[in-house]
Amino acid sequence: MPTLEDEIRRLMADETSRLHAAPDLLERVLRGHRGRRRRARVAAVVASVAASVVVVAAPVVHLTAAPTPGDRTAADERATTSAIPEPPAIDDVPPERTEPATLGDLGDGKEVRHVKVGYLPEGLRWSGWSLDDGDRYTASYNFDGDSDSTYRMQLFVHEDTALQEIADRIQMYRDEEEGEDVTVGDRSGYLVLANVGEDGMKGSPTLFLKMGDRQWAEIIFSPVYVKRFPGDKAVRAELWKVAEGLTSTL
Amino acid sequence: MEHDFGAFVAARATSLLRVAYLACGDETEAEDLLQTALERTYRNWDRIHHDTAEPYVRRVIVNAAISRARRRAILNIIPMHSPPETTARAKDPDLTHVLMDALRALPPRQRAVIVLRYWEDLSEAQTAEALRCSAGTVKSQASKALAKLRSALGRETVEGVIRNAHA
Repeated sequence: MPTLEDEIRRLMADETSRLHAAPDLLERVLRGHRGRRRRARVAAVVASVAASVVVVAAPVVHLTAAPTPGDRTAADERATTSAIPEPPAIDDVPPERTEPATLGDLGDGKEVRHVKVGYLPEGLRWSGWSLDDGDRYTASYNFDGDSDSTYRMQLFVHEDTALQEIADRIQMYRDEEEGEDVTVGDRSGYLVLANVGEDGMKGSPTLFLKMGDRQWAEIIFSPVYVKRFPGDKAVRAELWKVAEGLTSTL
Repeated sequence: MEHDFGAFVAARATSLLRVAYLACGDETEAEDLLQTALERTYRNWDRIHHDTAEPYVRRVIVNAAISRARRRAILNIIPMHSPPETTARAKDPDLTHVLMDALRALPPRQRAVIVLRYWEDLSEAQTAEALRCSAGTVKSQASKALAKLRSALGRETVEGVIRNAHA
């Protein structure tokens, strides 16, 4: 019997096989693009004219006697024709963020914002990849420091507003009787073999480590990296070394 | 520029339309999502590396789908958890329809994770990047979504429908 994941893939393929892009899609896209540019140009002209009305019209109002109906200035003309604000555009597309925020250049990866990495497994170096979501940030490590190659270790740091999600996830593991509470030195943590079943591998050994009341770290070894170790004990020992080497600067 | 973009659309539009459909569950909205995403892509075409064009469009599509679904949920215009009424389907359940209904019933972000992970075969890190979240969130969302799909489909249901289909 196929796995659930295989079944989902097959069903998605069945469901979408009848869909094909419309032949005039490109034409519509280009037309829409030109229309948007035209609207943007009109809006810019309206905005600049409206701005000039504010500057020009204000002295007129204050420095002249009350105008009669026939006593209209050029500024008044502009005001009456352009001061009516355009209705706001209806745009249900989320704000554009073309690139995710990163932590910048982390160098050798031994300092990830508020966490110092005292020990890195042999050969691993910062991959050049990171994400910065404010209270949650992450950096990955691999052998060649090339962001296009597969990660071997990933470090997440969760702080303040991101702590609840970590608490929820650990509770979920507890509820499902996966993983175990552990201590690393004098710090508490939770060790689990995180696995959503799609890798066809054993999963990702993951150690959550409480760094302080405002900060948790999450160390993940990739399933590929784990294969280098002779067994679970060795994996665990290496995870512990990384965890023991983490210090908070928060 | 227009020629390059046209070649990209010709090559990838159908694939992207399917992503959009799986992400939102509605054909008309999928077409609109795709067109909107492509317009935005075209605006930035000179700054987008051709190798990254498809991930870029995909990212716009799934994030727009999530945003729209959430907005609808907030405005309560369309109940999020009510699949379209299809009496015929209810009488004659088909596994594909069961899956699509189950997909539609997922929270938008979980649905996006499933589509990106299992339809697009993106890695957890790539999915995280597309959705602007951590790989840990991708894992937990995928896990929750799979549990719901498993429950919605049910191994008994799966087996039953497969048996019917082969009968």
